[in-house]
Amino acid sequence: MKTVETLDVIVHTISLASATSRSYELRAPDGALPSFEAGAHIDVHLGPSLIRQYSLCNSPQDTGRYLICVQRDDAGRGGSRTLHRDLTVGQRLRISPPRNHFPLVTSSRYVLVAGGIGITPLLSMAEALAARGAAFVLHHYTSSQATAPLLERLQTSAFAERTVIHRSDQGDSVRAGLPTELLTPDPDTAVYVCGPDGFMTHVTAQATAVGWQPGQIHTERFTPAAPPPAGGEAGTEFTVRIASTGIGYPVPADRTIADVLTANGVEVELSCEQGICGACLTPVLVGEPDHRDEVQTPDEHAANTQITICCSRARTPELLLDL
Amino acid sequence: MTTALPRPAALPRDCTFDPDDWAILARHWYPVALSREIGDAPTAVRLLDETLVAYRVGGSVVVAHDICPHRGVPLSLGGGDGSGITCAYHGLRFGEGGRCVRVPAHPESKIPSRLNLRTFPVVERYGLVWTCLRPAPDADPVIPAMAHWDDEGFQQINCPSIDIAAFAGRQLEGFLDVAHFGFVHLDSFGDPGDTVVPDYSPVRHEHGFSVDYWSTASNYPHGTDKQAPPGFRWLRHFDVHLPFTATLVVHFPDGGRLNIMNAASPVSARQTRMFAPIARDFDTDQPVQAVYDFNRTVFEEDRAIVEVQKPENLPLDPKLEVHIPADRSSIAYRRGLRELGLSHFFTA
Ligand code: FES
Ligand code: FES
Ligand SMILES: [Fe+2]
Repeated sequence: MKTVETLDVIVHTISLASATSRSYELRAPDGALPSFEAGAHIDVHLGPSLIRQYSLCNSPQDTGRYLICVQRDDAGRGGSRTLHRDLTVGQRLRISPPRNHFPLVTSSRYVLVAGGIGITPLLSMAEALAARGAAFVLHHYTSSQATAPLLERLQTSAFAERTVIHRSDQGDSVRAGLPTELLTPDPDTAVYVCGPDGFMTHVTAQATAVGWQPGQIHTERFTPAAPPPAGGEAGTEFTVRIASTGIGYPVPADRTIADVLTANGVEVELSCEQGICGACLTPVLVGEPDHRDEVQTPDEHAANTQITICCSRARTPELLLDL
Repeated sequence: MTTALPRPAALPRDCTFDPDDWAILARHWYPVALSREIGDAPTAVRLLDETLVAYRVGGSVVVAHDICPHRGVPLSLGGGDGSGITCAYHGLRFGEGGRCVRVPAHPESKIPSRLNLRTFPVVERYGLVWTCLRPAPDADPVIPAMAHWDDEGFQQINCPSIDIAAFAGRQLEGFLDVAHFGFVHLDSFGDPGDTVVPDYSPVRHEHGFSVDYWSTASNYPHGTDKQAPPGFRWLRHFDVHLPFTATLVVHFPDGGRLNIMNAASPVSARQTRMFAPIARDFDTDQPVQAVYDFNRTVFEEDRAIVEVQKPENLPLDPKLEVHIPADRSSIAYRRGLRELGLSHFFTA
């Protein structure tokens, strides 16, 4: 193992970036920070076992500070909540030097496609591309005006005319179709996609389907693709009832259906315990699951006939399982 | 009384597969030999427990049952001269399309059409002889695609095949597995200090699925002086064509591309012949023997593992093994096999 070098920074400014996200400006106590490339991220040490990656969203030419933007995710693994709740201006923070796993390749043209908070690395790329006079367009898919992160900065940027904001509350989501520039493949264009897992998978699949080469599409995952196993704050309490016995068991917010059933002597099958393999799929007779797996297709999710009991929860107060 | 002649739908004798699984697998195309290995002489090959004979007449390859329709002697015991093959027992001669062209005992008599060999369709591609035991009537052959093979500037290399005493599904799954490099490939390219598997997600398509896998795990062979720039992320693009073929395009730091096809030919449920055509656009002037040797090392490392895996087959029911996030390709692979209609557990 390599030893990991870290940097000490000071939280210089905290500002609202949307109703649900905040920008943090980090500076070095002595004024100097290593330079970075567009697409780079830093590891932020929030606690002994709480290290989170955040993309830098300022311009790489903007030396002397790092800007990150963090969306609060109450169903997440705790990093964003800690930041939102505990970070204060003037506080010291330990971070890693910037690392780039999402570098800009050389290309004649670029199409940047962001979903939600996935805008962060792409914003930095847009800054870099604008600074060097490159041809590009930036698409930002958000759910609403209020929750669109960094909207103000986008609208006042040097590349505001080359930025297209799509709002799904106005019916303009990526499900409705690809951005215009992606409708026909172009070998001289590099495509960068960042956003939630499903968003990236969808855009990549659609773009490949119209003929873009996989090597042209660059993605970076900034959250784990699988929902975390329910441990911690996974939702609200509900009841699972077993059809064969009629017995109902309360499933508290911090335990999984599988945990509760096993603890009560109900035999269930488990393998991955994180919603990726399908071993625990169980028929649902009554009630609406809150699906958190990636085993079933969107259609199967919509049908609500089966649930992965290792990670999914309930939208209704009770679920009746065919066990 | 009607006679019980072998019907086209009959299973091979000593079939090691579940009959329904066999019927599904037999609809697909598999390579059975390297083109360069098939000449005038009849050569025995095996696919899905069926013994086949391959020979060349007038430049094209014939693949047929390796059983003389006369008295059942393997044709691969006979000889050939480029215009046909001759059975070792009574000298029956077979030419183009497996047609019987001579019965030495009755040179002047009419040759019954039932003396023709039972042949299978043949396509030569990527330097391999592909065939299909139960092609759908009137359907075009579906041979897995291999990017770059015919591209300008790419060198085509066909490694010698490798025999593996394991099920093709296990072998193919091993080819897709991205978590074993730093443990199994220590003599070839693996780095025991770089074993973390970054997230990736398989995307389904018509013939299977594809995966873009980005990681820092290097593909340079140990012992070369080449090194990726620090922090370089390698893109490995996998494309799976169900049931047993996959290609892997490795994107090198200097822009070079290496495409390796892993075509696992199911000899039986416990035996696999692995073919590996390769296309690359770098080092194209270097001797191919070095590529053969490197690939041999890599696949021998894999072989040592797949031959000892238990159960010998691939459990398609996700409950039968434990899965970790690095296994997304394996999970997609097994799901794909289930969707072909294969049974939850291949029998052996
Ligand atoms: S145990 Fe794998 S999906 Fe639930
Ligand atoms: S560690 Fe995976 S099979 Fe043993
Ligand atoms: Fe391997």
